[in-house]
Amino acid sequence: MIQVREVTKRYGAKTVVDRLSFTAKPGQVTGFLGPNGAGKSTTMRMIVGLDAPNSGDILVNGKPYVSAKAPLREIGVLIEAKAVHPGRTAVSHLLALARTHGIPRSRVDQVLDMVGLSTVAHKRVGAFSLGMGQRLGIAAALLGDPAVVMLDEPVNGLDPEGVLWVRNLLTGLAAEGRTVMLSSHLMSEVSLIADHLVIVGRGRLLADTTVADFVTAEGVRVVTPAPDELRTVIAGPGITVTSTGAEELLVAGASAREIGLAAATRGIPLFELTPQNSSLEEAFMDLTRDAVEYEASR
Amino acid sequence: MKITPGGVVAAEWTKFSSLRSTWITTGISVLLLIAFGMIASASFSGDTMTSVDLALSGSILAALSVGVLGALLGASEYTTGMIRATLATVPRRSPVLWSKSLVAGAAAFVTMTIGAFAAFALGSAVLNEKVGGLGLGDDGVLRALLGAGLYLGLVAVLGVALGMLVRSSAGAIAILTGALLVVPVLAPLLPDAISDAVTPYLPGNAGSAVMALAPAEGTLSPWAGLAVFAGYVAVTLAAAAYRLKKTDA
Repeated sequence: MIQVREVTKRYGAKTVVDRLSFTAKPGQVTGFLGPNGAGKSTTMRMIVGLDAPNSGDILVNGKPYVSAKAPLREIGVLIEAKAVHPGRTAVSHLLALARTHGIPRSRVDQVLDMVGLSTVAHKRVGAFSLGMGQRLGIAAALLGDPAVVMLDEPVNGLDPEGVLWVRNLLTGLAAEGRTVMLSSHLMSEVSLIADHLVIVGRGRLLADTTVADFVTAEGVRVVTPAPDELRTVIAGPGITVTSTGAEELLVAGASAREIGLAAATRGIPLFELTPQNSSLEEAFMDLTRDAVEYEASR
Repeated sequence: MKITPGGVVAAEWTKFSSLRSTWITTGISVLLLIAFGMIASASFSGDTMTSVDLALSGSILAALSVGVLGALLGASEYTTGMIRATLATVPRRSPVLWSKSLVAGAAAFVTMTIGAFAAFALGSAVLNEKVGGLGLGDDGVLRALLGAGLYLGLVAVLGVALGMLVRSSAGAIAILTGALLVVPVLAPLLPDAISDAVTPYLPGNAGSAVMALAPAEGTLSPWAGLAVFAGYVAVTLAAAAYRLKKTDA
């Protein structure tokens, strides 16, 4: 569990994180979303004590991270791929981290195997691609078999197979009861894995919600040659029907299944029957529009 | 499974020994020490230097070399970004600095002591006939050779502390070179009264006093000199620890 409470971080005159509060719970994947420069990485750095907040406090599994006896057991992090000396091999990098905690060599081999880097374990990290660097970072995060796994932009630089692998890995970790948190600036990426969404912009909390709630159902689009007849058939309390074209209706308050069955009983032909959800991406863009730090002029 | 002081030392040893540059730099340091000792022993024919002084004449270059080794070890944490992985793993932070210093200092002490004894043995073997030979049993010889190892070990620690303090390889190496090589050259430009008072206490002069067979005029006694040098190292370490603890990584 990660609890962030009223945390503020300033660099000089610039407030990067502004009274941010949220909780990432065990057994869930929490997606940490926001445009570039929203303060995501800074927040993650503060969670593991790399940066100190100006005010507010952060607890990892109920206590400040600095006081943990076995930090790698509490939380595993990927803060930045390539937080690695390029002259070391993958094995020695992980071994250097593992030895602080007395984690055996066998665990190092195990996590290298889990992330698919066994064959390059003795290659120097400087020669790794971005995707391999990400995998090494994820291996480091898993070393201590931690209760919390927190990854900053984990799928950056991964190929489609790698993206799928990360997705399965993270949902699997959450299913084991761990707290999983990942950041991204891409909604499409997160919506497939996350249960819980924390959306930030300019350091402030914009939304703390679930993926299901964030997607607003707009209704069902129906195309039929007999729109007027269909209107009378499906009319009822709580159901609104608007005409969006000569043969098109948008029905709110009834499911596609209900509309289809009603039309079938009267023999009304339907050419199209499509539930309309505003896409997550659009909802995300709407929410963060005013909070985008760096925007291309148009 | 938890963080232990021994674990952090083991981790720093893994970091130290898993870089090719460590072995190259250490090898070069030993080589410089031995090679210059032998060359000086064979070629010098005056009466101003003893065979121990000649054997250790490569110590200035060896000091630069082990200092650079320490500085790279400390600064590379920052230049490569490794420091984020390091400190997320050891969030108390200061054990990292102590362990890194211990590993670099101990490794330099061991290799440089071996180097000093080898330089003395090989230097004595090729010693110019006009210089009187000395044995390990002679007054001060063991102290001078062991002192060389201790001094060079402390130089490596100074390098680590500077690297962690300024967080840049070039900056740390510049300060180290300045302190050991440039400052002693500039000191005589000061008015005599000041220069004479200050010169013995300059880092390089104070530290090398422990390697002199008999203290020359205007230098500190061997152990006082080493203690002064250790003081410089301690102050730099304290500054590095303060910055490590107080500032964002």
